[in-house]
Amino acid sequence: MRKLLFVLLVVVMVVPLAACGGKATPTKAPVATKAPVATKAPAPAVKTLTIGFTASETGKYNVESTGQELGLKLWAKRVNGAGGLKLNDGNTYKIALKSYDDESKKERVQQLYTRLINDDKVDLLVSPYSSGLTDAAAVIAEQYKKIMVTTGAASDATYKKGYAHVFQLYTPASRYLTSVLDLLKAKDPSAKKVAIVYEKSKFATAVAVGAKAYAEKNGFNVVMYEGYDSGTSDFGPFINKIAANKPDAIIGGGHYQDGSTFSKQLYEKKVPVKLVGILVAPSSPKFAELGDAAVGITAPAQWAAGANYSPETAKAAGFEWFGPSSGEIIKAFAGAGVKEPSYQAVGGYAAGLILEKALLTAGSPEVAKVKKALEDMKIMIFYGSYNVDTSAGAHGLQIAHDMVVIQWQKVSGKLQKVIVWPEAAKTHSAIYPLR
Amino acid sequence: MKRVFTSPFLWLGVAFFVVLAAWPMATNDPTLREDLFLILMFITMALSLNIILGFTGYVNFGHIVFFGLGGYMGIYVMSILHWGLFTAMLVGGISASVLAFILGAIILRLRGAYFALATIGINEMMLAFVSNFKPFGSGIGLSLDFGVYKAYGGAGKALWLSFILLAIAALLAFIITFVLKKSKFGLGLMVIREDEDAAMVMGIPTPTFKNLAYTLSAFLPGVVGVLYFFKNGNIEPGEAFNLEMSIEVLVMIMLGGFGTVSGPVIGAALYEEIRSWLIVNPLLQSMHLVVAGILLLAIILFVPIGVVGWIRQRLPLVRRYLE
Repeated sequence: MRKLLFVLLVVVMVVPLAACGGKATPTKAPVATKAPVATKAPAPAVKTLTIGFTASETGKYNVESTGQELGLKLWAKRVNGAGGLKLNDGNTYKIALKSYDDESKKERVQQLYTRLINDDKVDLLVSPYSSGLTDAAAVIAEQYKKIMVTTGAASDATYKKGYAHVFQLYTPASRYLTSVLDLLKAKDPSAKKVAIVYEKSKFATAVAVGAKAYAEKNGFNVVMYEGYDSGTSDFGPFINKIAANKPDAIIGGGHYQDGSTFSKQLYEKKVPVKLVGILVAPSSPKFAELGDAAVGITAPAQWAAGANYSPETAKAAGFEWFGPSSGEIIKAFAGAGVKEPSYQAVGGYAAGLILEKALLTAGSPEVAKVKKALEDMKIMIFYGSYNVDTSAGAHGLQIAHDMVVIQWQKVSGKLQKVIVWPEAAKTHSAIYPLR
Repeated sequence: MKRVFTSPFLWLGVAFFVVLAAWPMATNDPTLREDLFLILMFITMALSLNIILGFTGYVNFGHIVFFGLGGYMGIYVMSILHWGLFTAMLVGGISASVLAFILGAIILRLRGAYFALATIGINEMMLAFVSNFKPFGSGIGLSLDFGVYKAYGGAGKALWLSFILLAIAALLAFIITFVLKKSKFGLGLMVIREDEDAAMVMGIPTPTFKNLAYTLSAFLPGVVGVLYFFKNGNIEPGEAFNLEMSIEVLVMIMLGGFGTVSGPVIGAALYEEIRSWLIVNPLLQSMHLVVAGILLLAIILFVPIGVVGWIRQRLPLVRRYLE
């Protein structure tokens, strides 16, 4: 009896192992990278090119990440609808997307990217949403020497770790607020005093550090540099200190709640300031609920509907134009039921477009060729410019893409977001000075 | 003590961990390695939490503090002082234990809900401290250069190395838990769990015992934190002190059976297996948290003593092989 129980116990202990083993067994080969070659010699082969990524279907990044995923899907739909990508290697490639839910958790990301590369045999990678998750995915991409275009990942640090296969689409965090400072400089060269008030989160701190360095380098005097804790709802002490320092511009913020509260309290206390640039919050349509307090508040955004990037602006800036216009992208999103796509969602489409151009230039999906194409690429798309650093210390860091600066203005009596910077993308002149 | 090391259960457990570690290496399967990395990580976390929760009866929601602090200390010495991984693991483990010892002297005077609340407070306190502590990169955190992995034969081999080291940590956690349960010290802890006042009357130095248990339970999470963040290449406050993970580990112990040795192992493996399977299941992947939640609720409602507790209750003859 005891022997029998012992055997039973061994079985019980081995069950979890068996389950693991079951997972490890290659299930269905989801990716047909080597599709049957056409029998008639002259006809080009139609192959499948699989792009792997994780999306946060659940967890704190759900909204931004699923938007990004939709963008990628719409891009793949357009490419496949046009018959696929015809490359110089003589083959036509249809795009297949393979993704898993990372639950917005870092511990899932490495597990799932390893699976995408080893089991699903994906050809190219797109990053998850957020810098933290991308950091974890980049280690795996680099280990297997797989190309990964990152979108939704603004942190500079990721690209300063010595990776050679990771390429950034977004403007890095250190340059998030520099466009607002450029706008200030262009509008009023005599404005010199800047106050930086930011949330002590990873993203906002990185932005503030970059903005401070840029301000000082460009001759601004940073009269106040203060961080506030996440969840702060009373900005009174900060506003009193701002008023005492009499800055020309206030920049900073963090996430939606604190950014909108800060903007509202600045308005209520009638702080005399010429320009206010706040992260994240003013980019949301919800910001209009602030009413008059929203008027004149600016915010940096990776992209905004109405951004005037076009073949003409590309030519003027010395970049090659590639892909559809902003109007076509908005139409594609509208077709999918999204009337006002966020810049994160549109960023997913843009990441696909960058990969498309790299593949067309490379002429084949070979990693070395696609890598070279991404390194040499200097193009402008509907999302803005793309060109990356190729030095060993910051390989893959985006250096060409500029943030657009949006501002809330009353147009024909109606409160709306307009683009006021850069010159190449602007639709309206900025309200300056604010108060 | 001799009887402890001749126990069939102990050797069965050792064999289990050896097989678990050897499987992905024998099959050279990195995907399996990644799946098992998470399982082993949760097993170690659950086994170590079980020392204070299962044996001593103190509900600790702040177990993740030791994981986070160990991770921060380890990544700091690796990225700033350029120390090696093995030293970083020791630094991570020891600093977590030292923190537990200091905290334990204060908060282990509290009992029941008050202690549980204090542990949540400690997690929030550490999160706020690290977010403002410049040497730890404040809100941005710390990053490891990709070149760090070269010292271990490149990123590929470094990931295998962290897996093997984690398997050793998990095995250690298992052996410590088993030996503890069979020792006088462990018995003392269980008396505290059943009736602390009676334990004091019987002459058990309860403050010392509780603090030792708390300090011991903190060491391996500190080591695991170093391995986890070494593998990820960066650490930031929100990830390091994530209260949700503490709660997940608690659920794993309840699922397997608290106060047992194999309970946390089976609970962690089952919980992680269910989640991993659901995530990649084409039919259920968008519903995986719902399904996992319902399943867990059912188990906790109908089998409150956990899987191992239930088996031990129903099959007395199994008890010798299932501690």
